[in-house]
Formats: sequence, C-alpha cells, structure tokens
Amino acid sequence: MHFQTPTRRLFLGGALTTAGAAFIAPHRARAQDAVALQLSWLHSVQFGGSYIAQKNGYWSDAGLEVSLLPGGPNAPVEPPVVAGTALVGISAADYTAAAVNQGAPFKIIGVAMQKNPFAIASLAENPVNSPADLVGKKIGMALANTPVLEALCTINGVDIAGIEVVPTQYDAAPLVQGQVDCLLCWATDLPVAMEMQGVESVTMLLADHGYAVHSQTYIATEDSIANRRDQLVALMKGEVMGWQDYLADPEAAAELTVEMFPDAGLDLATQKLQAERQVPLMFSELTEAEGFGWFTDETVAANVETLALLGKPVSPDLWDRSILEEVHG
Amino acid sequence: MSAGPAVLRLSRPLPRGLGLFLGLLIWEVAARATAGSFIIAAPSQIAGYMVSHSGLLWRAFGATLASAVQGFVWGNLAGVLLALLAVLLPRSERLLLTLALLVFCLPLVATGPILRVLYGPGCGPQVTLAALAVYYTTFLPVLVGLRAAPQGWFDLLRSYGRGRMTALREVRLPAALPYLVAGLQIAAPAAFLGAMVGEFTGAERGLGVLTVRALRALDLPATWAIAVIAAGVSILAFAAVGALGRKFDLAPPEVLMAAPVARSRRLWDAPAQALLALGVTLLIWKGSMEIFGLPRFFAKRPEDVWGYLVTSPGAEAQRARLFGALGETLALAGPGYLAGLGLGAGLALLLVLLPRLAGAVIPLSIALRSIPIIATAPLIVWALGRGAAGTITVVAVMIFFPTLIACQHGLARTPRAVLDLFEVYAASPLRRLIGAQLPAMLPAFFASARMAIPAAILAVTTAEWLATGRGIGALMATVASTSDYGMLWSAIALVGLAAVLAHALVAALERAVLARTSAEQLAR
Repeated sequence: MHFQTPTRRLFLGGALTTAGAAFIAPHRARAQDAVALQLSWLHSVQFGGSYIAQKNGYWSDAGLEVSLLPGGPNAPVEPPVVAGTALVGISAADYTAAAVNQGAPFKIIGVAMQKNPFAIASLAENPVNSPADLVGKKIGMALANTPVLEALCTINGVDIAGIEVVPTQYDAAPLVQGQVDCLLCWATDLPVAMEMQGVESVTMLLADHGYAVHSQTYIATEDSIANRRDQLVALMKGEVMGWQDYLADPEAAAELTVEMFPDAGLDLATQKLQAERQVPLMFSELTEAEGFGWFTDETVAANVETLALLGKPVSPDLWDRSILEEVHG
Repeated sequence: MSAGPAVLRLSRPLPRGLGLFLGLLIWEVAARATAGSFIIAAPSQIAGYMVSHSGLLWRAFGATLASAVQGFVWGNLAGVLLALLAVLLPRSERLLLTLALLVFCLPLVATGPILRVLYGPGCGPQVTLAALAVYYTTFLPVLVGLRAAPQGWFDLLRSYGRGRMTALREVRLPAALPYLVAGLQIAAPAAFLGAMVGEFTGAERGLGVLTVRALRALDLPATWAIAVIAAGVSILAFAAVGALGRKFDLAPPEVLMAAPVARSRRLWDAPAQALLALGVTLLIWKGSMEIFGLPRFFAKRPEDVWGYLVTSPGAEAQRARLFGALGETLALAGPGYLAGLGLGAGLALLLVLLPRLAGAVIPLSIALRSIPIIATAPLIVWALGRGAAGTITVVAVMIFFPTLIACQHGLARTPRAVLDLFEVYAASPLRRLIGAQLPAMLPAFFASARMAIPAAILAVTTAEWLATGRGIGALMATVASTSDYGMLWSAIALVGLAAVLAHALVAALERAVLARTSAEQLAR
C-alpha cells in the first residue's frame, strides 16, 4: 500500500523536480513537469481531445507530463483541485459556482462544452419536444437537479407544479420500464445507450430552450493561475490542439479511447456515436472564429443569468480568459 | 448440526442438479419474456457476455480481488487487535467501541474524496474502503469470543499466579477462534463489496468501474455477469473460511458457568465515559485532518460543524433541514433494522430445524450481500416501488446476512453436555431449540444487533440516495455534489451521534438479557 500526504507529495515532487532540473538542465532544454488533470467521469471519448494530446505528445513537447485522473460516482472534481493533487479539473459552471460560493478559490479558464449537455430524453411514442410538453408528465431525475428543472420552467414560462418529479438513479431503465415518461440526463450518454440497445428516443436539449450553463469547464485555483501560469498555458494549449484534432476526426478519437483504455469496458460503436453527438455541443461559430474553449463576455453574461435562476449567484469574475488568450495569442 | 432422525426432512429428495436446472430454466424464460423492459438478464445472455468479454472481466476481477484481499487482511487484523485491546484494557472498551462505530459510520461521499486526495491514483482508497468495510464486523464477534470462557478457568490461572497474558493465550484466544471464523465469514463478501464500491472514487479498472459503466449503458448481461462473479467469489471465500474454521475448531463448546454480575456502578460513571468518548472523538477528528493537511474546503473540522449548525447566520434553517431529513431516515431505518435482525435470527433458528434449506439460503444470502446495492436497487425498486416498502427491504437485505451468520455460529456454541441432556430426555427439536440453543445464541445475536446499527444506516442512506430522494441519504448526496461540505459533515456528525445512541440502547438491552443468560460476557 502506498500512502502519501499531499504535503509530503508536494514536497517530494518539488524536491525531485528541483534536483532533476539541476542534473538534467545542461542536457535538455526543460525538465518534464508532472501535473494532473482531474477528469469529471470514468474514461470515455467524453475526454477524447485530452487523449489525443497525450498520444501526440502535445504536452510532453511543451515540457509537461500530464496524468489524466479518472472520476467516478464518488470522485468529485473540486477536492483534488483545491488540495493541489490536480492542477486543473474538469467541472461545470454550476458546480464551480456552488463550490466558489462555499469558499473554493476557483476560476474557469476554458469551456469545452459551449452548449450544456443536459437534455430531456423521452420515448418516441410519448415525446417531449418542448418544455410545454413536460406538463402532466412524470420526469425521472436526481432530486439534486431540481433547480435545473425549475430554471428551465422559469425561462420558458411552464408551471412546474404540473410536472411530477420521480427520484431515480442515473440510468435509462426507469424510462424504458415505463416508471417515468422522461428523464433529465446528458444528451451524450443515456440516449446513446438507449440507441445502442435498439430503443428509439427523443432528446430535447435544455440549451436550445434558454438554459445557458457552460459545461466541461476547466477550473484552476487562483493560486495556480498566479504561480503556475506556464504549466496552465502548456496544459490548455495541449487541450486546444487535441480537441482540434478531435473535430477533424471524431471516429479516430473514439478508436484511440478504446485502444488507450482496454480495461474501461468501452464499446467502440457506442464511443463513436457519443463522439459524434458531442461535436455540436463543443464546437460552434464562436470556437471556429476564436478557437476551442473560448468564451466571451456575452456568453458569460448569459451564464450568470441562468446561474442566478439556479440559486447560484456568481459574478463574471469567475471566468478568467487570460490563460486562453496566451494559448491562442 | 447433523441431520438427525428427529429433524424434519423432505419425504423424497429430488435428484441433485434438477432443482438448479429448473431454476435456470424458469429464470431464462422469465428474462426472455420481459426482455423489452430491461429488468433481468437471461442466464444464456450472462454466459454469453462472460465468454465474449472473458479477458476484460478477468483483468477487472484481478484488480478488484487484489484490493479486496489486502483490505480483508488489514481490516481483520485491525478488528482482532481492537478486540484484544478492549479485553486487555477493559477500561478502554467503551471508548474503543464508540470510536470503531463512528469510523464505520463514515459515508463514502465523505471518505471517497479524502482517500483519493491522500493516496492519489492507484488502489489505496479501494484497499482502505475494503478494510473499513470489515473491521467492525470482526471486532464485535471476536470481542464476544474472547469472553466466552468459564470463569473457573480464569480463577484457576489466577490461583497459579498467572497474569492476563497467560489467560489470553491459554483461555481467551482458543475460545475466540470460532467467533473469529464467524467474523471472517461475514468479512469475505463485505471486503469484495468494499473494494468494488471503493472503485467509485476514481479507479482506473475493476469490477466496480465496469458496474457503473454497464448500468449507464443499459447493458443488462454485463451488469448481471459482474453480479454473478461478485457473488460467486464471495460464496467461495465464505466456504473456504468455513472449511478452515472447522479444521481448527477442535474442542467442543464448554458449559459456561458464570456467576451473575452485580456491578456497583457509580452514578457519574456513564456521563464521564460519554464525555471522554466525545473529547477523544473530536480530538481525532480534528487532529487527523490537521496532520494530513486536508483543506478546510472539503474536510470540515468540528468547529466548522459547530459554526454551521449553531453560530452561523443560517444555522436555524440549516438545522431544520438536517433534523427534518434525519427524522425521515430514522422512520424507515428503524423498521428495516428490526426486520433484518428478525429475519436473520429467525432464519438461523429455522435452519436448525430444517438444515437442508441451508444449501439454498446461505449462497443466496451471500449473493445479496456481495453485489453492490446500486446494481440490486433497480430490481428492488422495480419490484417494490420507491416507497417505504422498498427502502425497508433494502435495509433488511443489507443486515440480515451478518445476523444470520453470527447467530448460526452462536447456535453452534451450544454446549455438548446441555444437548446431551436434552437428548436423554428425548426432548423435541423445538424444545431443544428454545431451551438450549436459543440462550447459547444470544451473545452472538446481540453482537449482530450492534453490527447491524451502522449497516442499517449505510443501507437506508444508500436507498434514499438511489430510490426515494428523501432523508439524510439524499441530503448527503445532494450537498456533496454542490460542494456544501458544511452540511455534509454536519450530517455525518449527527448520524454518528444517532448511531452511538442506538448502540447504547442495544447495549443496555444486551446487559439486561445477558446478565440472566450469559453472565461471562459481562465479567471484566
């Protein structure tokens, strides 16, 4: 068993890097800095761009050795970033806002999903095509997401009292078993699973109905932004290059994902479908013009407005574009 | 327990294997008939998945098993050491019991992130969570076993001028061996489950990782294949520990004659003990977080919880939310606890009368205990709904297995001489059960009644998180996902306090009953 305290790890890491730099510096331009990127879920093509960056050496060329830490049901992103075990974490604007309101010193330094992936999934014979269709329906979701439904209803003038919320665990079984009429889920996972199982479903993206919350956002602490700037720029540069490659060939990204993680139990066809479905969420006219991960004052303002509806008031200062400006500049 | 002539028997036993074959056939047909609603996978589909994904399953199994075995060793070692400490230093017993209970009550939503930050990538959190899943259920039975010796033997040793260590080596350890076997048997499936659940904290590989993946992918054959593997390995480990135990269990149980204990307890004894336990708990809580330098953001100290619940501006609303949720939880945990305990003890007694049933009941019980509840909950919810019935069932399912095993071992400790006496008088099996075996079972029963307290809390909070969306389980899941760690640690503190109070209640009941039936357990 391997037991380390973060402080000791930091000390050791620091000592080794310093020693390493002293010995290696004459021979090599730059020693490899070891940093970690905390992913928000288990390995899958959801993080395809990062895998491409890893494989093509976009980070190692910049002197960065990045370990990609998988998430999981009980692996929140925020603690390792606060503790410093991960330099950057992949969060979402609403989660980051909640953490910041609890005192975490985070900034959002990049946005992978321009459009929020939350969707209402329903079966073709009893579809939910617009928020108004929700009235009189049973929706399965985690009760923790009630503010999301409330915000959607407020934005679209739907009376939430007409919707019956059924607390369910996060899978499609309650929908296909007929326990509920629709599910609140990501457009890129449960609907993909249903399609792979031969169940036809309808997805209504919340982002198409006024729900503006950046997702798969890159977060770092204020301390890292001030003191580990070079590493952050190098890491984000690799991400941008990786995701640009991803856009050129999502299928290849799916194949790489399955190949890199043989123990993750990934199915190639599922990964390809997911890879294709997340493209419109991550790439837009904005990213075409300004580059992957970009955000503007306008998109931030829209986020601030939706987050206020979610009961997570934040100021636009939560977003910090300076790292991306260095990456793209 | 051999199947003597007095024991009820099926009039004509079916050929071996036929029952299994019929069961599989019914399962297959039921699965095929309901394929469209994704409830159960057919045996043929499960087998097919195992064959087509054998490499993947094999590697995942290896990873989970490695963590489970390490956790099993460390956790049981810790459990035995705690029990030895409690017997050698009787004054520390109450404190140790309280601390062990509180640590066992820590929920995964809080321990997961902390362990991952402490260990970094790798299997550290899985091993630790597997160890945490087993130490308590070994500690309690071994503690009972270390006391299950006649007072006369201790008096004899004392008259020779021998000390506590000799008594430990010559009397207590041999007496504890069968109880240790019970603890290890209960630990086998729990360690495997603990390792699987530990993988939810961000592991790279293992059966727990595959379970999460399969559930989200609506991949029933995969979910069920993993469940079958988890259940299979747990049943094998259970049987292996049992076989090993029978090899060592040479001496038949003795008649334990002990004088009734009349303890002259001073009035301020109990409050002083409680105050000491509270102080030490707070010290360890704060001290460990400071030593490891855990950020206050997610590792709240005692004073943060005090501030959150008492002195902060929103304290009143936060208290109301917390106590409301706790009330909802206790209303379901109580009936589930009693049902599980009753079911476990009842089954153990029933198996004395109908030993042939054990072949079916025990493996099924192990299976239920070794499959992660996130995989079984959908089935229970589908069958019983999201109301009280489903939640109470989940709680009962989680606690009846340790109770059953502990009670079975307790029953087997019925002194041979007493059984012979009943035999001589040609007493009926039922009479023998009530007059001889039931009293012998009581110490083990109360040990399981203590073990079941934290198990019931864990089960009810999991069911609330997955199915009902109410109570303290849903509250903890919600606040953990929104970084509201102040509420999370307040909930942990309150749940811990509730567990300690429930434990005190059971302990008081235990003292009252055992003073009549097994006074040796109360002698210090």
